[in-house]
Amino acid sequence: MSPRRFQAWFLPAPLTYVGGVEVFERGHELEIEVPLLSEDSARSLVAHLRRARTALLERPAREIARALGAAGARLLDPQDELRREALEVLPASARLSGPMARAVLDGMAADWSATRLLALLDAELHGGAALDGFLSDATGRRKRALAPALNVHVCAGTVPGVSVTSLVRALLTKSAVLLKPGSGDEVLPVLFCRALAGIDPLVAAAVAVVYWKGGSDEPLERTSLPEADLLVVYGGDEAVTRARAAARATTPVVAYPHRLGIAVMGTAAMDSTTPGTRSASGPAERGSALERSATAAARAVALFDQRGCVSPHVFFVLGDENQAAAFAARLAEALRVIEGQLPAAPLEEGEASTLQQLRGTAEMESAVGGGRVWSGGAASWTVLLGARIELVTWPGRVARVVPVGSVEAVLQALGRFRRHLQTVAVAGLAPATLELLSEGLARLGAARIAPLESAPWPPPWWHHDGLGPLSALVRWTDSEEGGR
Amino acid sequence: MKTQGSSEARTDLDVTSFSSLAEGLASTFRTGADLPWPAGRFEKLALQIFRWQFATNEIYRRFAEGRGATPDTVAGWEEIPPVPVRAFQRMRLVSGDPDSVERIFRTSGTTGGTLRGEHHVLRLDLYRASLLPSFRARLLQDDASLRFISLIPSPSEAPDSSLSTMVGAAMDAYGAAGSGWFATPRSLDVEGLLNALRSAEQERQPVLLLGTAFAFVHWLEALSVAGAGVRFDLPSGSRLLETGGFKGRSRVLPRHELYAELSDRLGLGIEWMINEYGMTELLSQYYEPGVGKRAPTPSLGPVLDSRRLVPPPWLRFRALDPVTLRALPEGQRGLLAHYDLANAGSVMAVLTEDLGYREGDGLKLLGRAPGAEPRGCSVAMDELLAAAEGG
Repeated sequence: MSPRRFQAWFLPAPLTYVGGVEVFERGHELEIEVPLLSEDSARSLVAHLRRARTALLERPAREIARALGAAGARLLDPQDELRREALEVLPASARLSGPMARAVLDGMAADWSATRLLALLDAELHGGAALDGFLSDATGRRKRALAPALNVHVCAGTVPGVSVTSLVRALLTKSAVLLKPGSGDEVLPVLFCRALAGIDPLVAAAVAVVYWKGGSDEPLERTSLPEADLLVVYGGDEAVTRARAAARATTPVVAYPHRLGIAVMGTAAMDSTTPGTRSASGPAERGSALERSATAAARAVALFDQRGCVSPHVFFVLGDENQAAAFAARLAEALRVIEGQLPAAPLEEGEASTLQQLRGTAEMESAVGGGRVWSGGAASWTVLLGARIELVTWPGRVARVVPVGSVEAVLQALGRFRRHLQTVAVAGLAPATLELLSEGLARLGAARIAPLESAPWPPPWWHHDGLGPLSALVRWTDSEEGGR
Repeated sequence: MKTQGSSEARTDLDVTSFSSLAEGLASTFRTGADLPWPAGRFEKLALQIFRWQFATNEIYRRFAEGRGATPDTVAGWEEIPPVPVRAFQRMRLVSGDPDSVERIFRTSGTTGGTLRGEHHVLRLDLYRASLLPSFRARLLQDDASLRFISLIPSPSEAPDSSLSTMVGAAMDAYGAAGSGWFATPRSLDVEGLLNALRSAEQERQPVLLLGTAFAFVHWLEALSVAGAGVRFDLPSGSRLLETGGFKGRSRVLPRHELYAELSDRLGLGIEWMINEYGMTELLSQYYEPGVGKRAPTPSLGPVLDSRRLVPPPWLRFRALDPVTLRALPEGQRGLLAHYDLANAGSVMAVLTEDLGYREGDGLKLLGRAPGAEPRGCSVAMDELLAAAEGG
C-alpha cells in the first residue's frame, strides 16, 4: 500500500500554491509535502499577512478567542472528520502510538477552547479590552496593549500541538503570524487553520503555516526572519542561536529553549501503607501514597513519550537508598502498566541498538558500583537508580531515580542545569520543605513548580518559561495625562 | 591414551588455570583455520569457556545471572548472553587474574564519545595463536612469500592498537625480507612507500600491502598531489588487505571506488584485494574469502560494497533483532553478536552496534547502526552537558 500524502502547509485565501514540492517520508505510511516557495512568493506572502493584520486590529479580542475556540473544538469532536484525519495522520507524523496521539491531541486541544483562551485574556490582558483600545486600569493609568504586526514563529521538536498553541497566542494578541512547525508537528497547525478558515476567514487570513527544514537556507526562512516584528523560537540551543542571528538586532525574540524536567519526591509520597493498615513492609498496597505517586510519575514520564519540555527525566527522592529503591521498583511496575495503556512509539533500528548498549552497560555497572536497573525488555522503558545523573541521550522512556539527603542537595545538584530548568514536579513534601525548595528553585530560575499529577499539563495562564505567554508578545503603550 | 587429532576428547579444555585453558585453545587453533570443525566442538568449547568466565569474571557473572543464564541453565552456545561492546569503555572485563594482564588494547575512541574501549588481554600468545592461522588461510593459502608493506603503524609506534600487534605478529611469522612499516599514528611515509614499492617492482618481489581504508584514501590523495602519473606495476602474486571502516574521518569513499583507484595506481587486480573485519574487543577476525579468485564482473561495485566475510571455526556470529535480541533467520538484517573463543580471557560473547545478516556460512556486513538522536522539547543531553560544563 502506498504511503498517504499530507500537504504540510496552510496559506491564507486567496493565496494558493501551485509550485513544486519536496516530499519527506515519515516512516513507511506517510509522506509530507512541503512547498518550495520562491523569494518572490515569500515576499508576497509576508506582505499579505501584514495587510491581513490591519483587519485583525478591528476585531474585539474576545471574538477572536471564540473563533479560535471553535476551531479547536473541531479537533476535540469525535464526530468531526477533522479530528479523524488528525488521529489517522498524527501517529506517523509525530512518531507516537495511536493511543498516545489521542491523549496528546486531547490534552493540547483543551488549551485551545474558547473558555481557556478567554481565561487567558482575563489573566493577562484585562479580559482582552487592553488589546482593543486604551483603557484605564485600577490606578487610573491609561494604557493599551498591542502586539507587533508580523510574528514569525520557528518551532522545533516533535510534540504535536506546540505550534498550534504558539499561533493561537499570536492571533489572540492580534498579530499576523507565519509559522514554521517543528518536524513531527506539521499536521495539527495545518488542520487547525483549515478549521479556522471555515469559521472565521478574516482571522484565518492573518496566519500562514509552512513547514521547511530548519536551517536549510530556504527562501522563506531567509526572507521572513529579517521581516519579523517579533520572533518566537522553540528549540535547542543551536536552533535558537541561528534564529536570533537571522532576525534584526531590533527584533524582540521570545525563545523557548529545550528543557530538563525534574521531580522531587518527599517521604510522604513513599508511604507504602494505606490508611487503617499497619504493615509498612512488602509491596505497596493499593491506594497507598507510594502507588499513587509511582503511577503519577509513570504517567508524567510516558506522556509525549517523554519528549515534552515538562517531561521529568530525573526523580530526586528525599530519603535514603532504600526508600529510593522502593520508589524506583514501584515506578518500574507503573511504567510496565502504562506501556499497555499508552504504548511508546516503536524504536528505530539505531535507537534500539543504543538502548541495548546503554541498558546492558548500566546493568553491568550496577553490579560493581551500586545502583540498579529495571528494564522493560522489549518495551523501551528503563528505570535507573543511582547517585549520579548520567548525561547521555537515552532512547525510549527513562527515569533516573536519585536519592538525596536534603533540599540543599537537590538545589546543589540542579545548579549546573539552571539554564535549562522549567518544570519541577513535586509530591509528598511537607509544606515547609516545599517552601524551602520553591524559593531555592525560583532563585535558580525554574519557572514552574507543580504537583506531579498535573505536571504534564500546565494551566493555560502559566508563566511559560517565566513569562506570561501573551505578555511575552505584547508591548504596552501608556498615555500619560498632563500633570499628576 | 594417545588418540588421533580428530578425537574430540583431546579438545576438552584444562580449566585448572587460565594458562592451561589458553594453551589448550591455542593448540586447537593451530590445527588451522581452513577447515570446518567437527560438529559439536565449537559448542563444547564455548560452554567450557562460559563456565570459566562465569566463575572468574564477577561483572560478567552478575550480568549473566541477571539475564537468567548460568552454566547449569545454558544448554547451547546461543544462550550465552552477549555483553554490550560499550561495556569495554566503562569497566575492566577480565576472566582471570587482572595482575597477569599482558597487554591492554584500546579503541580509537570514536564510539559514543570520547571514551575509549579497553580490551585487557591475559595472554598475547593466545591472540597470536588465533590470528595467525586465520591470516594465513585467507591471505597466504598459496604459500606465497610476500614482502609486507604496512600502512598500519608498528606495535612500537602504537602499542595499544590490536591491529598493529596483529600485523606485527603476521609480519614476524610470514613476512619476507624487506618487510616494513610506513606509517605512524599521525603520518604516512609517502616517500618510503614509493621507494619500497619501486624496489619490489625492480626485484620482482611480490608484496602484501596492509592498511586501513582511511590510510589508503590518505595515500591516494598524497599520490595525486605528487603527480597524476605516479603508478606502479606490482609483481604478480601481490595482494592487498584493507581493514576497518572510515570511522567518520576523511572523505567517505565507497569501497568499489577505493579499490578501483588502488587497482589503477598499483597495477593490481581488484580480485587481489580483500577486506578484514575486526575490532579491539575481539581477538579473532573475519576476512573476505577468495583472494585472487574473485572473478571481476561488471556488478563488482555492489558486490564489493556489501562485503561477505567468513570467520575461522572458533568464531561465530548471530544477527539479532534489535528490540528483542532474538536470533533472526538467514538473510534478515539485525545487530551482530560475536562469539569468539579466543576471547576466553575477557568476554567471549559481544553484542556490537554493527548491522548485518547471514548469507550461507558468511556474514554480510552492512555497517554501524546509527546512534540515537535526541528529539522533542526535552533538552538534548549533549547540550546539557555543554551547558553544565560551562558553569
